[in-house]
Amino acid sequence: MLIAILRRVGLSLIIICLVAVLVFLATEVLPGDALDVFLTSDDLMTMEAEDIEALRHEYGLDKPAVERFWQWFSGVVVGDFGVTFIDKTPVSDVIWDPLLNSLLLATVITLIAIPVALAIGILTGYYRGRKADSMVSSLAIIGYSIPDFVIGTLLIMFFAVWIPIFPALILVFADASVLELLKVSLMPAVTVIIGHVAHLSRLLRVGFIEAMNCEFVERARLSGIPEKRIVFRHALPASVIPSLNSMALFIGNLLSGLIVIEKVFGYPGLGLQLLEAVDKREVHVVQAVTFLGAVLVIGMNLLADLAIIILDPRVRSHKHE
Amino acid sequence: MSNKSVLDVLTHSPGTSIGVFLVAIHLLSALFGFLFVPYGPTELAGVSLLAPGSPGFSLGTDVIGRDYLTRLVLGGRTSIFVAMLGVMIAVVSGGLIGVSAAYIGGFYDDVIMRLVDIKLSIPGILFVALCVVGFGRSIPVLTIVIAINYMPGALRIIRSQAMTQVPLDYVKSARLRGDSKLSVIVRELCPNVLEVVVVEFAIRTSSAILAVSALSFLGLGISPPTPDWGLMVYEGIQQIYFAPWLVLFPAFLISTLVIGLNFATDGLANALGLDAARGLD
Repeated sequence: MLIAILRRVGLSLIIICLVAVLVFLATEVLPGDALDVFLTSDDLMTMEAEDIEALRHEYGLDKPAVERFWQWFSGVVVGDFGVTFIDKTPVSDVIWDPLLNSLLLATVITLIAIPVALAIGILTGYYRGRKADSMVSSLAIIGYSIPDFVIGTLLIMFFAVWIPIFPALILVFADASVLELLKVSLMPAVTVIIGHVAHLSRLLRVGFIEAMNCEFVERARLSGIPEKRIVFRHALPASVIPSLNSMALFIGNLLSGLIVIEKVFGYPGLGLQLLEAVDKREVHVVQAVTFLGAVLVIGMNLLADLAIIILDPRVRSHKHE
Repeated sequence: MSNKSVLDVLTHSPGTSIGVFLVAIHLLSALFGFLFVPYGPTELAGVSLLAPGSPGFSLGTDVIGRDYLTRLVLGGRTSIFVAMLGVMIAVVSGGLIGVSAAYIGGFYDDVIMRLVDIKLSIPGILFVALCVVGFGRSIPVLTIVIAINYMPGALRIIRSQAMTQVPLDYVKSARLRGDSKLSVIVRELCPNVLEVVVVEFAIRTSSAILAVSALSFLGLGISPPTPDWGLMVYEGIQQIYFAPWLVLFPAFLISTLVIGLNFATDGLANALGLDAARGLD
């Protein structure tokens, strides 16, 4: 088991390194360099060639790409993503508060969405083939077909414009207290839940149906164990294992999925920070956010796989072969 | 699709029929709508913010006085075009690479699949943001980014389908009669993964249309003054108190298009005996 875990962790670390290479390549090497991206054509016309060279030297951009990558990546490992062009604040300072805010929102959503989806998944899986089951699967399609920004905007229209019980725009600073943020995270969370819970419940339903079809459920039924106990004590724990990857995928993609939601509601999270950075062409901030987003996805997948290795005896012994 | 007629597939279930109907209307309007619109898409035709039902402007005007009906009719075609072209490139190139990886195997397969893993771990929207910063915002860039973004997922699915075909007798006999690798891949394997490719194209197109409109909403996709539903929703939010229809019309259109696509795809996948309920990656 230890070997399986180590191998899985090692693989994730390698993928993280390769993602770093890709993230670096995408903006630094292909279309000129970070300074070309940052400077507009107006800047280039008004500035002397020597000034631009001096700037390039100041930011260390005249060094070869491999050396710059190494410099960037060795900083990233210790949480240093470089500095912004405009006022040279460390990128890590710029993204720290928004990152925490986004993680808070993601946690709120996860804590509501996973239990709700699990409940719907069990109910529709248990009564599969009935009307409610096919209704949920239609709702799932409709839910993930409607863009998040449409759901969010409609919520604003209903609950801020027509029945004004919520503010249309969140006016909270990035360093607001957790309590303040929790208050404003309700509408964004509801938006994600409307759009994605039905779909997530479809994925969890598959695992539950598989578990209910297992021999041990049949045996439990034959030995006269009450149905309720079979569902909650026998099938449910067994169904969690195949569902872990779906949950990990959901959580891993939340951070990037929140970009749209944060824009709709003006929630001061990482997504809003990213869009601002794209506007100002702060390459280092965009790199950092992209890298963090990928690390979260890889990390959640790793956690799910590790949990499966630890929890599932079949995988545990299989890995030894 | 061998023993089922096209009509059977299109009317697989009530949901499928509704889906196909919605998609057909949207495609017709995207293709031929420009022939019937009363004004130009960027023409300042009337007074600012006329309500729907005003004489000469059946759906009113937007904040700078452009005819809203015109912009609504033309607001889908750019994102549909970008999404379809991008996904087409993704599915065809991903399909070829995936099939070849399945057939050749070994080191080549390993390298390809590790690259797929890397790309799949970068969330799509962040990847687009990175590219927009690097390459600027334009339709060709957006199309290529969509293609790159959807290729790894399609590649992986098509590869696993091709894996089921490689050990079969017809592939073996082609190899034994001395056909080249290229010939086996193109003439034997590709036709036999075609159904999966079609479903992949359908699933990913609807997802790409959602992505393009979300990107336009965020200011990373299609840029003004091109009419686009995602962009129009964003512009409409500023007038949400006085002119809610500016948001409601484009929101309704984009939702019906994607709902239609997904219901149609679901039916298509069911009719072909494939599972469309799996998550997108």
